[in-house]
Amino acid sequence: MLDYAEPVTKLIDELKRLPGIGHKSAQRLAFHLLRADRAETARLIEAITEVKERIILCSTCNNITDVDPCRYCTSPGRDQGIILVVEEPFNIVAFEKTREYKGLYHVLHGALSPIRGIGPDDLKIKNLLERLRAGEVREIILATNPNTEGEATANYLSKLMRPLGPRITRIAMGIPVGSDLEYADEVTMHKALANRHEM
Amino acid sequence: MQLTRIEAYGFRNLEGFVETSAGLNIFYGDNAQGKTNWLEAIYVLGSSKSFRTNQVRDCLNFNTHEARIRGEVLRGTLRKQLQLFLNDTTKQLFINGKREAVTRYLGNLDVFVFSLEEMDVIRGDPTSRRRFLDRGVATLMPSFIGTLAKYNHLLKQKNRLLAEASQSKAPETFYPQVEVWNDQLVEAGTVIHKARVRYIERLNQTLDENDHGRAIFGAERINLRYKSHLEGKGDLDQYRQLFRERLEVRLAAEVASGHALLGPHRDDLEILADGREVARFGSAGQQRSALILLDLAQVSIYNFTYEESPVLLIDDIDAELDRGRIEALLVVLEGNAQTFISTSRRSIANRYRDRAAVYWVEQGQAVNEPSSVSRLASQDPENSADELARAVRERVDQEESEDLGMQAE
Repeated sequence: MLDYAEPVTKLIDELKRLPGIGHKSAQRLAFHLLRADRAETARLIEAITEVKERIILCSTCNNITDVDPCRYCTSPGRDQGIILVVEEPFNIVAFEKTREYKGLYHVLHGALSPIRGIGPDDLKIKNLLERLRAGEVREIILATNPNTEGEATANYLSKLMRPLGPRITRIAMGIPVGSDLEYADEVTMHKALANRHEM
Repeated sequence: MQLTRIEAYGFRNLEGFVETSAGLNIFYGDNAQGKTNWLEAIYVLGSSKSFRTNQVRDCLNFNTHEARIRGEVLRGTLRKQLQLFLNDTTKQLFINGKREAVTRYLGNLDVFVFSLEEMDVIRGDPTSRRRFLDRGVATLMPSFIGTLAKYNHLLKQKNRLLAEASQSKAPETFYPQVEVWNDQLVEAGTVIHKARVRYIERLNQTLDENDHGRAIFGAERINLRYKSHLEGKGDLDQYRQLFRERLEVRLAAEVASGHALLGPHRDDLEILADGREVARFGSAGQQRSALILLDLAQVSIYNFTYEESPVLLIDDIDAELDRGRIEALLVVLEGNAQTFISTSRRSIANRYRDRAAVYWVEQGQAVNEPSSVSRLASQDPENSADELARAVRERVDQEESEDLGMQAE
């Protein structure tokens, strides 16, 4: 016999598929939804449906958006000559928070990783090359993650794009600003030393 | 660095504590009583790992499923209590009663172990030799552990890609991708190569300076040679460039074979006595002696770098070492570092009784035996049967070891 009536078990099973949700959390969420009034569950259902129906990828930069091209790509105040390349849409938010960066973005939706079966064809590289060929781009900033996969992806892209002419740069890596040297790990410290600059 | 007390419960068959001496400590007893377990407990307390098994959990007592090792470490005038708690699911580390992360815990009690398991470094496959080297490099360069982990991760990615490429109908289309992983492999690989070569230079220098070496090993000179897989392919001093060039040349071959053919993960270490490989031409005794010389060289590099001695463990000291060599080894260590040895030979315990703290180990308990003079004085008629048995065992041991001593001469 099932622990709970079939619909409840089904809900728990579905919730358990979500990342970071184990059996106990799923059970708690399920019982919360069970007790919630219809208006609340309807809002959640609507939010989920809407996100699936209305969110698309920008045909220019692959960012998630509800209008195509997205708001970054059409913003008149942005420098059309610089493209910052990131792995995931949420990486854009981190750069936007600086309010310093005024160029455009390009989202790859992943990084090269043979172990996970991700090759160049699985990344959104094709339309990046198209943007370059259009000719207005002066600089590409590679902002993939500072791990082996991100580094491999950056290397791959830089080789691929070099013949197309733009300046290609990689974001710096080292000690986080505002933190204490004593909290930096050896690898970061090593990188920071290797990439030191003249004063 | 000195361990002044060690306490163990539920760790293998150990129960109880030992107040240890600053110099030489000898654990002796019959087989399977727990001599080596005491040494292992010291090692686990210091490193949170075991030298006998990959899973410390294997050391849990079958009945209790819970182990506790506690020790007191003295450095200069500073005293620290270390504690390790172990059960089926967790391992917890404490300094002065407060729980600490492993990175902060390590380094409070550095322990070097000379054991028979280590013989793999000489007789085993290159993996054991590389591990021996890498462990040494890591004591001097903590970031090396990260570099090594990164290299292995890159290698795994590259191997997966090569496997896929070798099955493909158009393998050349994979070349640009393989090159991308090669770029990073060259960087990490060059750091590994250079660090290992530099470390071997230091080991060789130390082996040359070491006058005691001859007493332990004999007349021949021990030295090491790093055997890079790129040997004979070009200038190894320009490793980065050479590695990169070779990877380019062998790109098609690597793709065809489906796995990485080049890199420091294929290197080896040659251990030579007067230029001849100890693994092939040395006797068992020579092999163990050579290994001990290497261990001693690692210890003296450690001493030089940290201006402090680690704690040394020598498991089964009489295995494959004759009396003369044991004597020479202990002379080297005397006054240099706190040393713990295990032996099943009463004669060894007796010979060093005046210069060492001696513990008789029986069923996991270690009992400090008073030095020979007071032991004779405390003879008690009630224990005469025990004493007689002991005397017989001593006699047999002595004769045995004298025989061995003569053979060695």
